[in-house]
Amino acid sequence: MTETAAVEVRGLTKTFGRVTAVREMSFTAPAGKVTGFLGPNGSGKTTTLRMVLSLVRPDAGEALIGGVRYDRLPRPRRRVGALLEAASFHPGRRARDHLRVLADAADVPVRRVDEVLDQVGLAPAARRRVREFSLGMRQRLGLAAALLGDPQVLLLDEPANGLDPAGIAWLRGLLRGLADEGRAVVIASHVLSEVAQTVDHVVIVSEGELRFAGPLGEIGAENNALESAFLKLTAPTG
Amino acid sequence: MLPMMRSEFRKLSTIRGPWLLLAAGPLLVVAGISGLVQSGANLHAPATQGKALAHVSLAALFTLIFGILAVAGEYRHGTVTDTFLSFPARGRVIAAKLATCGLVGAAAGLVSSAVAVAVTAAWWAAKGGSFHLSAAGTWQTIGGGIAVNIAFAAIGVGIGALIHNLAAAIAAALAWIALIEGIAGQLLGSGLARWLPFYSSEALGRGNVTGSVRLLPQWGGGLMLAGYAAVFAAAAIVTTLRRDVT
Repeated sequence: MTETAAVEVRGLTKTFGRVTAVREMSFTAPAGKVTGFLGPNGSGKTTTLRMVLSLVRPDAGEALIGGVRYDRLPRPRRRVGALLEAASFHPGRRARDHLRVLADAADVPVRRVDEVLDQVGLAPAARRRVREFSLGMRQRLGLAAALLGDPQVLLLDEPANGLDPAGIAWLRGLLRGLADEGRAVVIASHVLSEVAQTVDHVVIVSEGELRFAGPLGEIGAENNALESAFLKLTAPTG
Repeated sequence: MLPMMRSEFRKLSTIRGPWLLLAAGPLLVVAGISGLVQSGANLHAPATQGKALAHVSLAALFTLIFGILAVAGEYRHGTVTDTFLSFPARGRVIAAKLATCGLVGAAAGLVSSAVAVAVTAAWWAAKGGSFHLSAAGTWQTIGGGIAVNIAFAAIGVGIGALIHNLAAAIAAALAWIALIEGIAGQLLGSGLARWLPFYSSEALGRGNVTGSVRLLPQWGGGLMLAGYAAVFAAAAIVTTLRRDVT
């Protein structure tokens, strides 16, 4: 086995104006596991993910995907699939066209577009414009986009957003399956109940700083162990 | 570069806005030439034919907005995040947008030119004037008009990258053309005003909407406009590289 973690975050720091959004954040996410990246709203999860994806430039530190910075990956969509909070679409574009734009960009065959539409259950709505989509359908389209390049690393920000209970159960199975295929799956969330049953690994952050990183088992075996640990670890300091 | 441009073309061709803008150019040409004829211009004077064909460069207003839309539209709907996830080399993304919009601008200019020639020939035939494609300056006017359409599309990409707010970017561009250059022209006087972007485009397209400014020669207007397009393109790349995408 290789020593290189699928995702490695080393000392990431980012300040917006006078607000330090992320401070010396370090953690790793292994292949074959679902890693929960957990923290309250505004704790720096999204900024961290955006730095991993080279969308936001860190003031210090770096993030590596299989040992390489995202913006140095030759075909990033084939290595990393990302779903960012409030995935963005042009409302007038049809779902299938949205994915075809990305397929052109990733240089993957159009066959993949229909495969991922099928995978997320959107095949019947493929030719509808996104403005007609519910929040849950948009979320599924965002997941389809993340899966398009068949990547080994998935970074998903609040993936259960807008999904109904059946959708959340479906998502859980999807993520488990992806990890079992050997992929590294990272899900950022502030809703513990959505992730508690899915994650193998947890990274807990608060106020832009790392509070805990390790296997779920280290937190405790009781039913509400994750919740009580989360509340304790993320309690506001001084 | 090819996957990038293919993706850009598909992005623009799968929504309605760009198509409407492309349709608006030829419509403006038809309306402008018809207006010129109806206002009683002398159809036997060779200069009138040139004036009619020079409407092609006015249609570049829409390739300008097209270029703005190709960038600022992505910021408006947040799809720019997906674009940069596909291609983290943002400078090349802007280069691809410049190339794509430049090609679209050329195609739009060609279509507007064909429409301008057809409409001018039809009006001249109907009114008993004498229209000749071989008349002096005809091809320079058409070629210049197409070049203006290309340059304005590139300048639009630059404006869209500098001003991410779509409405503000379009308002700024239109205000510049409709108001600011006119006022600046009066303040600076004709000798300086003719170096400004819109007056340069008038020189290149061999039109003269205001008629009050003595324009540069056509090649001079072309050089100035190419220079403006290069400055906007460079500014677009530099600012896009530096800004965080949040």
